[in-house]
Amino acid sequence: MTLPAVAPTPPTAADRTLLAFANSAEFAARDLYAVAAALPAFNDEERAMLVGFHDHHLAAGQALAGLVGKHASNVREDAVYDAFRGKMAGSDKSAIFDALRELENTLVSTHLSLVGTLEGTGGSALVASILTIQARHAVALGLLGGRAFADALTNDAAPLSPKATS
Amino acid sequence: MLRFSGVGVAGLVLAACGKQAGVEESKNIAAVGVVPDAEGLPNVKVTDVVLLRTAASLEYNAIETYEAALGLGVFTGAFAAAGDIAKRLRDDHRGHADAINGLVTKLGGKPFTCGNPRLSEIYISPALGLITDDANDNPALDVVVLAHALENLAAQTYQSVVTMLSDKALRQAAMTIGQEEARHAAILAQELNPGLAGVLPSIDEATGKPKVATVPGAFGPLTPIPVTLGPVNADGSRASLSLETPSLNSLAYDYVTCA
Repeated sequence: MTLPAVAPTPPTAADRTLLAFANSAEFAARDLYAVAAALPAFNDEERAMLVGFHDHHLAAGQALAGLVGKHASNVREDAVYDAFRGKMAGSDKSAIFDALRELENTLVSTHLSLVGTLEGTGGSALVASILTIQARHAVALGLLGGRAFADALTNDAAPLSPKATS
Repeated sequence: MLRFSGVGVAGLVLAACGKQAGVEESKNIAAVGVVPDAEGLPNVKVTDVVLLRTAASLEYNAIETYEAALGLGVFTGAFAAAGDIAKRLRDDHRGHADAINGLVTKLGGKPFTCGNPRLSEIYISPALGLITDDANDNPALDVVVLAHALENLAAQTYQSVVTMLSDKALRQAAMTIGQEEARHAAILAQELNPGLAGVLPSIDEATGKPKVATVPGAFGPLTPIPVTLGPVNADGSRASLSLETPSLNSLAYDYVTCA
């Protein structure tokens, strides 16, 4: 029996650009969760979850930076942040959970698109491990926001494009 | 004369060690008793087709498990909602199996249309046996526990093949389904440990063991999945299984068929 080459291959130059974009998109999500967690609408238990998801995006951004080194900007993608910032306000918790769910689904679609584009399997494997967690974030936010379980399984969000946002 | 006699004795000894009339030669090393001939495995490669057939086999494991669970008639009362979820997830797995087998066919392979035989033997059958044991007090809960474990196993399997698939389009296809399996696992995690308290990892203060979490960490894990099922034993413990993603001895190679 022969195993395929399972040792991850490093990112190519084109991969590094895409992974750097993912790094900045993750930091945009981190900052949006920071805004949401600071809202007075949420109680301590809800805030703990939001901070937990914030930390996951921080970890994802840092891991991506670790893979691409100096190519990572380590600053948030403003286009992503600005698209969702206006929804992180008010006291309607379901609406905020719904906006965050949309953010997570957008990131899942974006990362899926990256997995289909990246040449190096090291980057693909890391992005794959990030997107499965963000799919779970989306489910949790959907259910807590009062959506039916069938909605929580659905992702209609379009992927972000590095060219369109930077 | 004596010299000739010596040669004769030596010849007899050598003859005793050599080939004997009427005794079939064995390819094995000398041994006492009957030893069957060594039977090697076919020389196979782990190709994209094999990995996708294995993924399809897991989809059928899930379909068969949900079918078996629905057939038990345990989704009543507090578990009525879990029955609706089981039907939806079973249907999703049917769609996944068709999609994966479509890719297999496109690559020139033969679709795999049954549960993974090895995983059925070592995980599914023993688990269903424990769940349906007459002494089991809560088969409905155990069905959800098993389903949650299988969804996690499927999600991990798709994630694990990303570095092995040679074609990036196949990696994307695999993860498109993999993230749906992760959503399934999250839905079932909320059934087992509902609400905000069940979202992030936590510890059961009574047992000191981790509770089921909807979001188990910052990155998708690739670790064994422990499952505790079945009746309480005399010593107060329950049976445990540890589910792991398919490996060399459980891949759906070209020669593996649905018997």
